[in-house]
Amino acid sequence: MKKRTLSLCLAVGVIFLLSTTYSLAADKLISGNLRIVIGSKSTGGDTYQNSAIVADALAKKLDINVKVDAVGATAAFNTLKRVSNGSTVMIFHDQSYLGYLYGQKGYENPFEQYRIGPTVAINPGNAYLVAKKSPYKNVDEVLKACAEGNNIRVAIQPGGVSEIGYSAMKNAIKIQYPGKEECLVAVNRGSQSDKNQAMFDGLADVINGSVQANEQYTRLPADDQKAMSFIWLTARSKTIQQANPEGMGETSRADLLKYVDPNVNVTQDGKKNFTFDKEFFFLYNKDMNPAIVAELDRALSEIFAEGKIQETQKKSFFIPNFMPSSEAEAYLKDKMAQYEVILKALHK
Amino acid sequence: MEFLSALDPLFFFLIFAGSLIGIVFGAIPGMTATMAVAVCLPLTYALDLNHGLALLLGLYVGGISGGLVPAILLNIPGTPSSITTTFDGYPMTQRGEGERALKVGIVSSLFGGLLSAAVLFFFAPVLADVAIKFSYVEKFLIIFFALTVIASLSRNLLMGLFSGVIGVWLALIGTYDVSYGGNGDTRLMFDFMEPYLAEGFSLLPVLIGLFGVATILDEAEKGIKENTADMKLSLQKGAKFSFSVFRKQKINLLRSGFIGTFIGMLPGVGGSAASVLSYTQAKNFSRHPEKLGTGEPEGVIASEASNNGLTGGALIPLLSLGIPGDSTTAVLIGAFTLQGVQVGPLFIGENLDTWNTMMVALLTANLMMFVTMFFAIKYIARVVMVPKYILYPIIMMMCVVGAYAINYGVMFDVWTLLLFGVGGYLAAKVGIEVAPLVIGFILGGQAEVYFVKSLESFGTLTIFFTKSPIAMFLWVLIFISVGYSIYTAVKAHRQKQAGDNGK
Amino acid sequence: MGNSGLLQVSIDFAQSHLFFPRIIHWLLLIMLVLIAVLQGIPYYRELRAGRKSLPFTSGPFDAPRLFGTIVLTIAYFLSMSYVGDLFPNTGLGFLFMSIPYMFALSLLYLHQRNRRHLLRVTVNAFIAPVVAWYVLAKLFNITLP
Repeated sequence: MKKRTLSLCLAVGVIFLLSTTYSLAADKLISGNLRIVIGSKSTGGDTYQNSAIVADALAKKLDINVKVDAVGATAAFNTLKRVSNGSTVMIFHDQSYLGYLYGQKGYENPFEQYRIGPTVAINPGNAYLVAKKSPYKNVDEVLKACAEGNNIRVAIQPGGVSEIGYSAMKNAIKIQYPGKEECLVAVNRGSQSDKNQAMFDGLADVINGSVQANEQYTRLPADDQKAMSFIWLTARSKTIQQANPEGMGETSRADLLKYVDPNVNVTQDGKKNFTFDKEFFFLYNKDMNPAIVAELDRALSEIFAEGKIQETQKKSFFIPNFMPSSEAEAYLKDKMAQYEVILKALHK
Repeated sequence: MEFLSALDPLFFFLIFAGSLIGIVFGAIPGMTATMAVAVCLPLTYALDLNHGLALLLGLYVGGISGGLVPAILLNIPGTPSSITTTFDGYPMTQRGEGERALKVGIVSSLFGGLLSAAVLFFFAPVLADVAIKFSYVEKFLIIFFALTVIASLSRNLLMGLFSGVIGVWLALIGTYDVSYGGNGDTRLMFDFMEPYLAEGFSLLPVLIGLFGVATILDEAEKGIKENTADMKLSLQKGAKFSFSVFRKQKINLLRSGFIGTFIGMLPGVGGSAASVLSYTQAKNFSRHPEKLGTGEPEGVIASEASNNGLTGGALIPLLSLGIPGDSTTAVLIGAFTLQGVQVGPLFIGENLDTWNTMMVALLTANLMMFVTMFFAIKYIARVVMVPKYILYPIIMMMCVVGAYAINYGVMFDVWTLLLFGVGGYLAAKVGIEVAPLVIGFILGGQAEVYFVKSLESFGTLTIFFTKSPIAMFLWVLIFISVGYSIYTAVKAHRQKQAGDNGK
Repeated sequence: MGNSGLLQVSIDFAQSHLFFPRIIHWLLLIMLVLIAVLQGIPYYRELRAGRKSLPFTSGPFDAPRLFGTIVLTIAYFLSMSYVGDLFPNTGLGFLFMSIPYMFALSLLYLHQRNRRHLLRVTVNAFIAPVVAWYVLAKLFNITLP
């Protein structure tokens, strides 16, 4: 008898707990718990941070629970393919098609395999640096050095965002000094610390880095082994112009603009300069209900119209960049096509 | 002394709450300090930087320390860095000295934590410059050094080495990860496995599968004999804890604490290598190395002093290079950026108040962890008296939670648990040794990256000897360590033979 | 530097993912041969002489409990992700399936199935998953199946 009463009590308790969770409108399109998987495994990185800002705003707007899970690219794509009911969406950046262009395992053409959602922000920090004592002071000198036949070693993480600027420089050499592009050599490294280390070890002349992670290194005195200087930020000039005037650390926006097109020339096709903005956007399951797509578009346009999220983003050195899904898809498709031309030309 | 104004009651409460939650996370097999920090990160949005850091540092220290509880009581490492704690901790529990082992572990943890905090406080910028002298070559040698423990851990040398190499092999399954500088191609698998195994097997599910699930299967095979009555008896019978244990272990404590701090300081080398390395050294320099692994407090001391030594060590590159020393400090970077504070080589100079507050928080977190654990232990130790038919289902359930949560929700990790549970159970039958296998698995990935990358950079094997004075020094250490362990093994063998003859 | 020629290694980055595995394969092979020769042959002799038995054949073997555990666990994992998909992102798959799993596993392991024990088992099977689910999925917002 006692046992039955006890289990009954427990069952009632469980049902009560559940009912509090589910009493929330079931008739809404997006209800209960939205899960955002991201293509990065780190909860300290920019993808997570940016997604957390968006998730927070969405949760308040739609009055639902939104949870960001840093499962990493492969697992995120797998989940996205499996779940079509709109309960799980993904946020990632240009890596999702760059990985495909560079032929990385686990990446497929995102425009065919998934549905592209709205863009939300840009991380303008993608940068290239040299050691402060380096004989090369700017991109021009680096490219010229290659033209003269000197090997220039660039530390990157292969297969994506970190490599695209390297490919662009190679492409520029190919256009300006045909045949000399072999002198720009990739030093394949992993995390930012590995890339920095390659410079400290004297194994790389140029490294890929970011404004956020490397700014303090650029302020070290020149006699410090760790001192570096920026030579190129791949972002568009108009992107950096939207940053807060304070810039990052002690480097103001005006200072940052010195390292951006048109002050730095890395030609894309002989006419215009190459630029790369790391843009964050949503990815959906191919068969997700279009009504949910529209609902998320609507919610996000309202959030961005209110203007509060932009302040949060800028405070964390993100540049707000909202485009509803249809616009975003066309824009990103064009972006991918441009980079595809560059990479095809290099890998011929 | 402006930072004193930040030290209000809330500050200390947050450290306390942090270390308590951290301990609980660390104590659940499969839940780690990293996870504790990651899930509590959103809570810090509402707090200012100092209070946020108080909470997170409490979680960090608590999470690292909590791992010793299941390691000692259940033979399941709560976090990867407490794996070597199981080697001596669990045998002590089986002898009825669980409470004693826990106390020894906690005191060592406190010591390691405080030592590394002191090193951090006084030497952070200097040590950061030392850390960047370690390139792939030197890091490979350190991993290699840690791998030599396999030889001294093996019951049967050949089988032990073989198990270790199998562990390394298992670690290589998956992609050669681009985020470590690999080329992102998969190997050692068929194409259809790619969706599941692209990232390889995750460390924690493998660990709790091999230790937790395999043990339960082994017990199931024997019919789940309840022996809680014996346990109750032996709990009273076992030797009691007293500080005199440490009298002969001062050098061990210091050495292990320093090894932990030092390994923590090297970005990418990570926590498990620290406890493995200091366990090797404890074994090599022990007066009776053959006893390590059979329930000697010495082993617990080495393991725990070093894994708490990590905390301060891993903060060194974070605060003076802007580069995390381990996975937990990688999450801490997020906390800083969210508050608009940049970490990098100029952090300490530009944020002196934050730096001082952090040091106070770290110190307090260690003390609070100690007090909380020391007094809770009497009750925690009773876990061994819970009957197995209740305990095992709970362990299984918690292992599932941990495995699923470790990568934020990947079902394959749960299957890994079972795969390695059954695999570990079967492997033990044919003489494969689990401890060497696990160490091979933990260190295999890094061994590959550092080895292959060194050769890629320099193109010659001689580089491992000639790269730098540090490399040569590491070789000397490796030779001393290996030589010494061979010497003691031979001596022990002779003594045994002499003893046998004498019979 | 003629004498260091043997030690020269050049690694093609595109193929570098196979470099280390190849070394490990050789190591495994060599050790396997060594084990077969140094330990396999003596073992086989002892086996022939009847002094040793094959693995898996000695000691007590409780087949129902062993295989029961494995079968129950497989069923648990399968059903958990299935039910979890019915209630997306709530962790309810975990909660709903843990209760019967724990109950069944406890029953399997129990030697005396009397009322007192059954009561304990039932209470445990309910309370443990509910507490775990509530604290982790609800309070800490951790993703569960």
